[in-house]
Amino acid sequence: MVLIDNIINVFKYECLKVVKDRLYLTTLLVLPFVTILFFSIIFNSGLIEKLPIVVIDHDNSHLSRQVISMVSASPAIEISEYATSIDEAKAMMRRGRVYAILLLPEGLEQNTYGSRPSSIECYVSSTNLSASGIIEAAMQSTLQTFSSSISISTLLAEGLNMQESLLEIIPIAINAHVISNPTINYGYYLSPFFMFTSLAIFTILVSIYAIGRELRYSTSREWLCHAKYNVTAATIGKLLPTTVIMFAYSQVILFMIFEIMGLKCHGSYILLALGTLLFILAYQAVAIVIISITSNMRLSLSLGGGYAVMAFTFSGITFPTGSMFTIADYLSNIFPLTWFGEIFIDQAMRGSSPTYSIPAFIYLAIFLFLPAVVMRRLRGISLIPKYWGRE
Amino acid sequence: MKEIWRHIKDEVNLIYRDKGMFLLVVIALPLYTLIYSLAYGSEVVRNVPIAIVDDDNSSESRSLIKTFATGPGTMVNYKASNMQEAQELFYTKKISGIVYIPHGFESNIMAGREANIGLILDGGHLLLYRQVLEQITKSTLQHGAMVELSRLIKRDIDPSTAKFIIEPIAINIDNVYNDTLGYGTFVMPSVVMVIIQQTLLIGLAMAGAQRDNKKRLTEKYIISKVLVYTTIYGINLIFILGLIWNIFGFANIGNTLHVTLFLILYIISALSLAMLFSQLFHKRESPLMLLLWSSVPVLLLAGVSYPREAFPEWLFDIGRLLPSSSGVNGFIALASRGATLSEIREEVFTLVILTIIYTTLTIFINKIRLNKANF
Repeated sequence: MVLIDNIINVFKYECLKVVKDRLYLTTLLVLPFVTILFFSIIFNSGLIEKLPIVVIDHDNSHLSRQVISMVSASPAIEISEYATSIDEAKAMMRRGRVYAILLLPEGLEQNTYGSRPSSIECYVSSTNLSASGIIEAAMQSTLQTFSSSISISTLLAEGLNMQESLLEIIPIAINAHVISNPTINYGYYLSPFFMFTSLAIFTILVSIYAIGRELRYSTSREWLCHAKYNVTAATIGKLLPTTVIMFAYSQVILFMIFEIMGLKCHGSYILLALGTLLFILAYQAVAIVIISITSNMRLSLSLGGGYAVMAFTFSGITFPTGSMFTIADYLSNIFPLTWFGEIFIDQAMRGSSPTYSIPAFIYLAIFLFLPAVVMRRLRGISLIPKYWGRE
Repeated sequence: MKEIWRHIKDEVNLIYRDKGMFLLVVIALPLYTLIYSLAYGSEVVRNVPIAIVDDDNSSESRSLIKTFATGPGTMVNYKASNMQEAQELFYTKKISGIVYIPHGFESNIMAGREANIGLILDGGHLLLYRQVLEQITKSTLQHGAMVELSRLIKRDIDPSTAKFIIEPIAINIDNVYNDTLGYGTFVMPSVVMVIIQQTLLIGLAMAGAQRDNKKRLTEKYIISKVLVYTTIYGINLIFILGLIWNIFGFANIGNTLHVTLFLILYIISALSLAMLFSQLFHKRESPLMLLLWSSVPVLLLAGVSYPREAFPEWLFDIGRLLPSSSGVNGFIALASRGATLSEIREEVFTLVILTIIYTTLTIFINKIRLNKANF
């Protein structure tokens, strides 16, 4: 009971500090809100559409215009420019005004009506893989449809009926079914990870700041005194306000994703909420370790911030960890975001049974034991003045 | 000249003595670039593991499966005996897709009836999703074309017409500038440009909290800063573009002179914004706490890693107030697509204007501060 009294004591002491310190208050309360708002706006539509391309029509025929109108009907593509030569079109692509060039060669119509094969060229600038992948897929399916319609009319002319013709051109049909995120919405898929990365950044910075400012402004002895020099109670009480606020924000994020943006939670919300709590605690644990080892607030903020930002890349959400170099694949294990990401995909997107998420929960829990190693040192540096006042 | 030299020495001393500052403006750029390159350096997603459930078990189904396995996109790692087994593999994250070939697949093909296959995909990871879908579709189409050709010939359609029917119009899609579809070539230029700006912002704001807003910003003082920071970042960029880019094979087809001139302009432009920020903070820990989070939004605002067409235009326009947006787009055009400086005059012009505006603002705020201090 003494332990709990001590924790409550420090908790009250800390809440007072939060209210008095504008920097503390801003980073804890205002910035997470701004960030969540930003990501909600930028990923609101979640669809990558109307990507500009340029068309060169060397055939200038009824058939070529038909192709152009089919391509422009595709929601992914917008024909924003027309060019007369390939050089002109290439210059547009170099400048970044268009992502792709569609080239309809001379003789397209004549060849087609004469049952001679011809070809359509499409050059896609793959310096932007998000855009190029979407253009490629849209172009392929649109032009394929067009090409198939020519096959069908030829087959009809050969005396087959419609049903027979269709069967001829699609001998093997693929029935595709997409588990999790069936509409292939980029917002559903990216925004949770961006939002939780930001939450990790604020959690680690504020936690480092909470402890670091006591050292920086030589008040750490007073802080420990409020917990009767029990460093565990002092640390828990100190970080508790951050835990509470960040957990509240994590629920705001989940509310945004599920209620406003409209992703369906397919699995257990309780498990997901428990996952977010562990995720926050894991980053706080890392914060304790960093500040205890360096005993320098500003250096710790740099290290902790860098660690939290980097997690996004290594979580594998954009580029899969399985395709990274082995060393990077291993490195991805040291970020709580990686494990939380697995829980999120399991529970929110796939609706997996809870047993599949157990390994990720265990990994997150391991982080919570890390501070045990440095608690003695934290007590030491908090009591010895030579560690204080470092800018 | 002497005065400039004295300022330079002061600035270098400051960077050298202050651990936090040294870490930010000297170490962070090459270190982060190296770490991110490790993550993205393998560049391509290949051989994505999938599972096959083959209920037909015929020579036709086996030859189709073979095409999935030999294509570059996917790799058949598991042959599951039923769907349940395959789903178990999916939920334990061992595979990213399942192909189901139903009983009767071969007999349908032989009899000229429609044959079906089932494909289960994971929309929870779009790069893997795309890779699996593309490979399976491509292989199935190719396999289907062979079936189609033999059927058409059986129908006594002459071979040249049959060939035309199978592919009346060939669709040739070529990827240019980054033809191996390297992921690092796609994201690393943006990452490097954003890190340059963000480390300058936080670094100078941190130093300024202690010193600069109490000191008069003379022309010579500003010139000395430009010299110091363009040198530091210039050397780092030579290391990055000359060494890291080559080791990891990121595309660079730019004209060296044009790229160099543009990078110098970008560093100066980012520096002008950083100097403005250096006037705004009082505590040295504040910039880290208040600015670090913005790195990810700043990267997105450039409209590359997430295409600008996907978010509101006003948001992109706000982003253009930051040097990074023009820096990212200009640098990719120059270095990855081989554009010339005159082709990206819009970005160059924006950077020049931003530099003028931010420098003027900085001098103005500095004057107000000093006047206040004198009273």
